[in-house]
Amino acid sequence: MSILAYNGGAVVAMKGKDCVAIATDKRYGIQAQTVSTNFPKVYQIGPSLFVGLPGLATDTQTVYQRLKFRMNLYELKENRIMRPKTFSAMLSNLLYERRFGPYFIEPVIAGLDPIDNQPYVCNMDLIGCPNEPEDFVVSGTCTDQLYGMCEALWEPDLKPDELFETISQALVNAADRDAISGWGAVVYVIEKDKITEKHVKTRMD
Amino acid sequence: MARRYDTRTTIFSPEGRLYQVEYAMEAISHAGTSLGILATDGILLAAERRNTNKLLDEVFFSEKIYKLNDDMVCSVAGITSDANVLTNELRMIAQRYLLQYGESIPCEQLVSWLCDVKQAYTQYGGKRPFGVSILYMGWDKHYGYQLYQSDPSGNYGGWKATCIGNNSAAAVSSLKQEYKENETTLAEAQALAVKVLSKTLDMTKLTPEKVEMATLTRKDNKTIIRILTSTEVEKLISDFEKSEAEAEAAKKQPPKS
Repeated sequence: MSILAYNGGAVVAMKGKDCVAIATDKRYGIQAQTVSTNFPKVYQIGPSLFVGLPGLATDTQTVYQRLKFRMNLYELKENRIMRPKTFSAMLSNLLYERRFGPYFIEPVIAGLDPIDNQPYVCNMDLIGCPNEPEDFVVSGTCTDQLYGMCEALWEPDLKPDELFETISQALVNAADRDAISGWGAVVYVIEKDKITEKHVKTRMD
Repeated sequence: MARRYDTRTTIFSPEGRLYQVEYAMEAISHAGTSLGILATDGILLAAERRNTNKLLDEVFFSEKIYKLNDDMVCSVAGITSDANVLTNELRMIAQRYLLQYGESIPCEQLVSWLCDVKQAYTQYGGKRPFGVSILYMGWDKHYGYQLYQSDPSGNYGGWKATCIGNNSAAAVSSLKQEYKENETTLAEAQALAVKVLSKTLDMTKLTPEKVEMATLTRKDNKTIIRILTSTEVEKLISDFEKSEAEAEAAKKQPPKS
């Protein structure tokens, strides 16, 4: 069985009008057994920058800690906040350093650029190949379902509350068609001067 | 062949002194002053800026005060290039601890670790010691607000108020008289810092361009590190000059009979 499907999980991020949203399920499981329903895979790493790390749970935690290490040093030395594109490059580099013994995560990045306030989403494979589309990114064990939901529901220039509805429906319905994703969800909507965190009620199976 | 061993830096003198370390401290006593004061509700570091040439393209916002992590700040006195290497190392040490233990490094641990590095340069390698003394201010959950000083020998100590750099001895004795333990608030400490700095700055008058000041306080379980703006520094200086003028005027008054 695939190592990337050992713990299960789903993350999706979408661009909107001057905003981005990122959503994650909350399941922590070991193969078929669900151990916890409070394990979100999305972390806030900057004032308007979020990273989702679905995949093997131990790598989720370790990669987040190592990212924080590099971020902290960057911000101390350069005396400025890291921009989303730079963060992508850094994460890609971190993953490729382990090219022949990789971290088993396929990250998703969502944020607003601190300088020009442009929305930014990105995802990459487990060895750091980045993909920076104009609409949405998905990752986890139900990517096929997520791609289908996002393609059907997403449209450009959605306002923050519309974006929230869209991303929530995409995640929840895709996760419902996957045995090892779901068990609760968290959605973050990132706008220029505020960030909303909503815990979405889902089917708990 | 013997010439190769003549200039080793890491040997004792016949009187039992380490000359290179003492020479390093001599280098620091010519550098811009830095002082730190522990107050009841916070800590502050103040430093004299030496690079005030108009032609300097102002890229850095702080010449001598460096943030090390969320809970600690340091100020340096001595050779700036050596200081850059050490502050970089301090930041790395702090992050490595955070990565390994999942919590912020306690203040004394960080100081102690770097001092072990500094000490190594006085004992082996054949390299010269770092020509930097460092003042550290920080907060941790074990001992609260703390102020430390370290020097090229790798010695360090915890202080309530201290000074390094040019005229530091005069500053320390001045602080000894004026500092009141457990009674000095951050605002009083700021005024005291300006007073002491004005004495150490030789003949030159205090101006906001010449002074850097940073404070560290805790609020809502988070550490707040602030570098004062030049307007705030200007206000502190003008308040100090006003109180100096009042003291002068009071002296000149004939004593009431």
